[in-house]
This record gives sequence, C-alpha cells and structure tokens, in this order.
Amino acid sequence: MPEVSRKAAIALAASASIALFATACTGQSNSGANDDASKETAINFWHAWSAPNEVAAVKSLIAGFEHAHPNIHVNVVGNMTDDKINQALRTGGDKAPDVISSFTTNNVGKFCSSGALIDLNPFFKKAGIDAQATFPKAMNEYTQFDGDRCTVPLLGDAYGLYYNKTAFAKAGIKNPPKTWSEFEADAKKLTIPQGDGYRQLGFMPDYHGWETTTEHYFAQFSPTYFGPGGKSDVARDPAFEKGFTLQKKLVDELGGFQKLERYRATLGDEWGPKHPFHTGQVAMQLDGEWRLGMAVDAKPKFDIGVAPLPVPDDQADQYGKGYITGTVAGIAATSHKQNAAWEFVKYITTDTDAVVGFANDIHNVPSTLAALKSPKLKYDPRFKTFLDIAANPNSTTSPASINGGQYLVTIQQFGYDYESGKEKDLKAGLARTARQIDTDIAQAK
Amino acid sequence: MSTLTTSTPAAAARPAGLAAKRRRSALKTLAFMSPGLIGFAVFFAYPLASTVYFSFMHYDGFKPPTWSGTKNWTYVFENYPLFWPALRNTLWLVVVMVTLRVLFGLGVGMLITKIKTGTGVFRTLFYLPYLAPPVAATMAFAFLLNPGTGPVNSLLEKTGIPAPGWFNDPTWSKPALTLLALWGVGDLMVIFMAALLDVPTEQYEAAELDGASPWQRFRYVTLPNISPIVMFAVVTGVIQTMQYYTQPLIAGKVASGVIQGAGTQFEPGYPDKSTLTLPQLVYNLGFQRFDYGSACVVALVLFALSMVFTAFLMRRRGGLIQAGD
Amino acid sequence: MTQVLDKPVSLKAPVSPAERTARRRAVLQWIAVHSLGVAAALFFALPFVFVFLTSLMSDSQALSRDLIPHTWEWSNYRQVFDTPGFLTWWKNTLIYAGLGTVLTVASSVPVAYALAKFRFRGRNLSLMLVISMMMLPPQVVIIPMYLFWAKQLDLSGTLWPLIIPMAFGDAFSVFLLRQFLMTIPNEYLDAARVDGCGELRTLVRVVLPMARPGIAAVALFQFFYAWNDYFGPQIYASENPGAWTLSYGLESFKGAHHTDWNLTMAATVLVMAPVILVFFFAQKAFVEGVTLTGVKG
Repeated sequence: MPEVSRKAAIALAASASIALFATACTGQSNSGANDDASKETAINFWHAWSAPNEVAAVKSLIAGFEHAHPNIHVNVVGNMTDDKINQALRTGGDKAPDVISSFTTNNVGKFCSSGALIDLNPFFKKAGIDAQATFPKAMNEYTQFDGDRCTVPLLGDAYGLYYNKTAFAKAGIKNPPKTWSEFEADAKKLTIPQGDGYRQLGFMPDYHGWETTTEHYFAQFSPTYFGPGGKSDVARDPAFEKGFTLQKKLVDELGGFQKLERYRATLGDEWGPKHPFHTGQVAMQLDGEWRLGMAVDAKPKFDIGVAPLPVPDDQADQYGKGYITGTVAGIAATSHKQNAAWEFVKYITTDTDAVVGFANDIHNVPSTLAALKSPKLKYDPRFKTFLDIAANPNSTTSPASINGGQYLVTIQQFGYDYESGKEKDLKAGLARTARQIDTDIAQAK
Repeated sequence: MSTLTTSTPAAAARPAGLAAKRRRSALKTLAFMSPGLIGFAVFFAYPLASTVYFSFMHYDGFKPPTWSGTKNWTYVFENYPLFWPALRNTLWLVVVMVTLRVLFGLGVGMLITKIKTGTGVFRTLFYLPYLAPPVAATMAFAFLLNPGTGPVNSLLEKTGIPAPGWFNDPTWSKPALTLLALWGVGDLMVIFMAALLDVPTEQYEAAELDGASPWQRFRYVTLPNISPIVMFAVVTGVIQTMQYYTQPLIAGKVASGVIQGAGTQFEPGYPDKSTLTLPQLVYNLGFQRFDYGSACVVALVLFALSMVFTAFLMRRRGGLIQAGD
Repeated sequence: MTQVLDKPVSLKAPVSPAERTARRRAVLQWIAVHSLGVAAALFFALPFVFVFLTSLMSDSQALSRDLIPHTWEWSNYRQVFDTPGFLTWWKNTLIYAGLGTVLTVASSVPVAYALAKFRFRGRNLSLMLVISMMMLPPQVVIIPMYLFWAKQLDLSGTLWPLIIPMAFGDAFSVFLLRQFLMTIPNEYLDAARVDGCGELRTLVRVVLPMARPGIAAVALFQFFYAWNDYFGPQIYASENPGAWTLSYGLESFKGAHHTDWNLTMAATVLVMAPVILVFFFAQKAFVEGVTLTGVKG
C-alpha cells in the first residue's frame, strides 16, 4: 500500500506541474465606452430592493427612463446582495450587470480602488454636469474614493428614532429623549415584562436587531474610524468606548442579553408588516427614514412619532445629527455598453423629476439639491425630520475603505462579543479590534 | 496516470501477436477509462494544482494575480479571526457528533433487527429523515427549535424542563446541529442493520450455550464481527464532518434573522462563531471578501485533513479497494 | 434469542414452568423492543408531523405555541406555488437532477467496468484516486473551478458548471458501480467474449442487464445529490434567479417570507415531498445502494 500512495503522490505532483501553466490566464475582458447609446440596445440593472412597494417603485422609475430613451431597454434583477453583485462584477459576461446599485456605501472603497466600477468623472464632464453643484456635500463624499468617482448617489438614507406615541403617553413621557441618559430612562419605563419575555419592550438594543448596528449607534458619538496613515482609530477615539458602553448598559438594564435574544427570536422580520415596532411589541426603534412609510402602511394601532436619535449628554448642543448613508449606483468595468449605461445612471440619479418621483415612491431622502427643493416632493410632515438629519452638518457616515465594509464587520463582531458578556475587557477588546482591522486592510492591499 | 498504458485482458493471452494484442487492450482500457481520466484532469488535478498556485498569490478577481509568498498563509493562521474557531468547532463535531451518530446508528440498527412486528414501517420511518434535503431539514429544525415559538420548547416548558436557546445560543447551537444529524441517521442504520444480519447465527448459539449474558454476546460476538463497519462509519463520519456546510450555514442564517436581507452581508457562524466550519470559511474568504488567495489556503487545509482520513480509511479497510479477481 | 420471537406467541396449551418463564421473558422482550421502537419512531416522525401541521396554520398561529391548526389553511400551498419563480426552481431542479443523473450513469459505467474487470497496470492507483476524489470536499477546488467556469467560459448564472462535469464520471458513482460490478462472476463475461462479443457489446449486452440494481442505486444517489445540493447553486446560480434550484430558492423563500413560518414550512414540505415519493417507489434499490457503500467492499 505505501508504494501505491507514493505513486499517487508522484502522479499528483506531475499533473499539478502541468496544470500550473494553465492557470495564469485570468481573462481580462476588453470592454469600454465604445457603444452607441442612440442605437437599439439593452442593459442589465441589478438592485437590492425587495419589498413589494419598492419593487413597484423601481418599475415605475424604469418605465420613466424607457419612455425618455425608447431605444434602451433595461433588464432589471432585484433583491441582489452586495456579495452577489461583487461576484458578478468580477466575472462579467452577457448576464452580468451593466449598472449596479448597492444599499450601502461600505463597498465604495473596494469598488473604486479595484476598478470594478468605472470612474464617472469623464462622463460627468462630457455631459456638462457639475457633480459638486448637483449632490449634497456628504453624499458627494461617500460616493468617491481617492478622487475616483466610481459611484453616484441614488437617494439617501438618514437614521433616526421612531417611537410609539401612544405608549409614551401611557408611560407618562411627554417628549422623545434628546440625550442617551433620557433615552435609557424612557426605555426602562416603556418596558413591560411578561412571563420570561415582554409584553412591550422599550427598545431592542442588540446588535443583531437589524438597524441597531454598531455604526448606526456610533454616529451619535461622531467617531473617527481611521487616523492619519489609514490606521484604525477604534482603540484611540473615545467615541467607540462610549458607544459600546452605552449599548451594553442598555442591554443589561433592559433584561440582559440572554433574555433579549430569546425575545428577538419571537419577533417578526425587518421588511414585513409584522415588524415588532408596527405590532407594538417594541416601543422605540432605531431605523432609517424608509420605516415611516412601512410603518404607516402597516396601519398600527398607535400614533407614530419620529425624532432624531439622542446624543451623548456632553454633546447636547449637537442634537439633530444622525447616521447618513445612501444607495449608490455605478457602471461595471466589464460592461460593453457603458454609454447606454451612463444614460441610465444619469437619468436615475440627476433627473430631478425622476429622483423626486423615486424618492416619493420609496420614501427615501432625495439625493440631489434640486430634488430636495422640488415642490413635487411629497412627504409626510414627520419625514421632514429625516431631511433635516440628512442636511445636518454634524451628521456622519462610515468612511470608504479599500476592503469595503470589512472593518465595520469586524467592529460589529466585537460588538457581539461585548454585548453577550463574552469579552469583558473593553479596552483590550478595542485594541484587538483595531489590530484586526489593520491586518485585514494590509491583507487586502 | 501514465501508468495505464500496458495491460492484459482478463481472458488468457495467446503468445502469437502478443504485442499487438497488448496495444489493443491498452487502447481499450484507455477508451473505457477516458471519461474518468478527463474528469480527473479537469476537475481534480488542474483545480487542485491551481488552488496551490493561488494560495501563494494576491488575487482579488479584478487585478491580475501577483506573487505574495506566504502572506496568505500567515494571514489565515495568525490573523484571520474565523480560522481557529472553525477548526475548534470541527473538532467538537468530530468528537461529539460523529461518536453519537455512530452509537445511535448502531443502536437503531440493532433495534430494527429485533423488531418483529411492522418491521417495514419502522425501517421506513427511521430511514426517511436521512433523505430530507439538508436545506429543508435545517429550516424545519430551526423552526422546531426556535427558542421563542418553536414546538419543542413549548413542550419542554410545559414539562418544566428549562428550555435551551438552541440555534440562538452559542453553547447549544452545536448540540442542536447534532440533534439534526441524529435525526438523519438512516444511512448508518441501514449499514449497521446489514452488518448485524451478516453475523453468523451459530456464533450466537454457541455463546448462548456457554451461558453468555446479552452484554457478553454483544461484546464478544457482535462487536468483533461488525468492527470494520464501525470503523468505516467513524472515518466516513469524520470526512463528512470536514465537509459540513449547508446545515450550519442555514441554521445560522435562519436563527440570526438576517437571512438574505436586502443588501445585508451575512457573516457566517451565528451565534458567536459557534457554527463555523472550514468550508464556510472558503465561502467567506472567496465569495464575500474576495481574497481568493486566502480562500485557497483554507481549501488546502481542508484538503489535507480530508486526505489524512481518507488514507486512514484505505489503510484500515483494504477491503474497500480489494484487488478484485 | 431471536428464534423465540419467530414463533407466534400463544398462551394456551399447558406448559412446563421453565417454558413459561421463557415465554414470559419473550413477551416482555417483545414489549420492551417495540416500545423502544415506537419511541424512536416518534423521534424520527414528529419533526415531519410538526412541519406539516405548521404548514397548514394561519400565519398568526404559526408564531403561537399551539400545535394543532385552528383552521386548516390549504391555501398556503397554493400561495407557495404562486410565488414568482417557484415553478422555475422546480424546472431547474429537475433539469439539474435529471440530466445530471443520466450523464453520470452514462459516463461512470465504462470507467467502473474497466476498474472492476480489466487488468492493467495502475488500476489500484486509479482506484485510490477515485476514492480520493470521492472524499474531496467540493470547496477545496471551488476557487479555480469558479474562475474557470465564470471567467473563461462565461457560464456563471447557469447550472451548466454543475451539470457538465457529470459527463466525466462521478467518483462516488464509479466507486459504487465498481463495487457492484465486482460481484458479477467473470464467467459470464468470458462466455460473452468466447461468443465473439467485443468489450462494448459485452458491457451493453451482458453486464448492464445484470448491473441494473447497482445502476438504479447510483442513479438514485445522484438524483438526490443534485436535488439536495445547496453549495453548487449558491456559487454558480445565485446571481440569476432564473437558474435557482429548489434547495437554493427555499432559502430565499425564507428570506422573502421572513416569519411566515406557515408558508416556509409549506414550501419545505413541497421540497421534501418528491424525495420521499421517489423513495417509496425505489426503496429496495436505495437500501441496497447504501449497504453497498459500506458493507460489500
């Protein structure tokens, strides 16, 4: 037997060395902006929207475009996660997207630095559009990386606080909390236990609780993610320590991690009508501006209140700020129809009526200055809160990084360890997290 | 595979035209083996060599690969936070899940040989769960074991037994997966059943005449007869555990509640990295982080571990590749 | 001790005390064995029962703790069938599993035959390689394979990267068939050869008819493998909903229906049902196949 396995090893080694020669070809497809956008053509557009009203909104946006450009047909593929978009951008081909949109700005750094999406600056120049004067400042920033404009803002998101006004009244709370210590007190007052669960939970603080992610909390502390030289600042900037401490305190005071997680397993889902905020199971919710439309559609049995998220007690003067981000759109480097694709991107991101219409349908924040001022913009008066958060100079986002949102995943992972009590030493944990972020970035370079 | 060229047919060879005959039979062998040879070259040897090659390359799928030496290897072993947890989980699963599955399979196999009434019904019932598609079975278990609303915990709470968090609790997620694996024990049951029925009855009769207790009969008659099968079950169980992918991934996704949500990226391992296995790391590195080089490193670790146990299997059970006629 | 049970237990007719104790013991043993059997049967069957019951609940009840549906919502099943794409997933799964099975059998039989019945240098080595390939986790070679199919051949977003390789012999099928073909006595082959049959004719005329149970087992395994495969479609088909299979689609179904456990469980039942049906029709071949993997080696 040993003799045979040695032979096997030799055969393997032999075939291995042959195959080595065959591997080097990685197939860079030649592509470019040589297509004629006035000819009959079809492009593929991938997006991440999945809720029925959102899918319908995309449909009417496309209809508007095809009406304006009857020669360009758009094949739409929805419900695409960033993983899949990333995968398809690498392979190209007929079925691969020409235009993509992503819900987060997390991957912009990766998209730009890798050349997955093309730099749109030349297209803007050719079309005579000044991007600086078209988009709000923060949105302008988060769609670029190192001067490379590989994405364009396609509506924006701002995060705030939703609260159950009826429950507030019952608990004798007059106004939404402005500082985290008020928030803590309110959350406790609003929590009504029942059995080993809750009849009503004041607030679901767990990092797994959909939008209650680390970066959404931390924006209220105005953190600096990367210091000079691109090294992680997680262990240096006290904002992170304060953010983690606050969330852990909420977890502990509202029943402890085990109990909250168990309750979470019984709750509805984020995108359906049985969202726990809609059903009244949770009285306060950290969420994006789109929740308002969904919550209203779900016809809850209470009044919905909207406010900016609280701020740390020592930053009370900055009340009104929040986390902002947005959907972005870009053109694949592998696309053979980049001019047609540009026509589409130009329409959905800069045509004022298109942007306003889409924002109205999908209940997002419009992403051009003209659209923000448009009289056609229809919104619930409560929605104004989010427009203000988006315009607030103290609002922040998470910066683009060469390996995309990996650093946010790492911070979030540490969050899981800390909220569950697995990691007790916050300072050491933050130092470890910072090191991890730095090595991951070095590995991606 | 170049060793395939000379061969002799099973039929007796005549001295005349021996060389021509040999050549013809070599061609014949080659023709019959050709699908396998192509398959081996294209879907095994080439990609395996390629995996080795990429493990030394920095490659993100966009820019052409560049040589990076052992950087990916150090990254995976020293800095990739999911690697060691995945390896530890695999060890846990090998020790607990494989052992329990073999014992349970043997137990159920013995039970089925003893059942005399309604054997067919029992055997079908015991075997069916093995056939349930893994995604469907895992989702079913994620529902059954849902700590808040699942029927299992409802029953447990009615009986006053403290109900665990199952797939939502890092200490219970692997036991929950084990439960799922025990549910699908049908393959081992059938194998053990066949082996048990093969044990010569005379040996039992002789043992009974000697006044052996049931345990002694099991220990001195049954076990020696079926020990090769037990070994086979253990080793294939270990190899299957190395490849364990769909069940832990789906269980983690469903339990975490972030299943394929719009735009969200699911970091495998929920809760608290407790369901990570090596194949999931290949997916995480290769198709979420797009660090193809590091993904290949994990793939090679997976390969090495599988091959160690495969070699063990071939060595211990020469019968598996018996020389034939 | 099993012999006692082979006879029907009758309680009439006078018997000696020793015989009576033996009989009592036999009865007790019968009771013990069968209660254990029933307990095990509950363990194996209850999950199916719960899943099925939940699939018939209203969506609000599915999240409650009652086990029996208040109203029997058979419309859940219609709702699942009406899900956009559900029928496409069925079609794709059938193509993947059906075509894959045919190709696997067609390409594996000659290889297995050569390995079982030809004598040539390197045969043992080949066999060891077959076993190594059989034990190879698909994830080991997925990076180069994915780049190969997606970048060189532009076939991502389809199931072809999963189907085409099956035309080049599947290690597990080769192994299993070889095990089966070994059991066919050489005399049959020699007789055919003496009659002047070439190897191909011998294979088709003599071996294939005798190997039918083995081929059936291989076909079944392959069919189930494709039906159950999640990783393959996740890698190659995920980006194109038009190419999703049931196993992959089921997960996204859960994603789209979130906590509508009743619908998810109805979909689960619909994914499980064909496998179970096929099993009932081909039970014998299946059990034989499983046994073959481990015992007859």
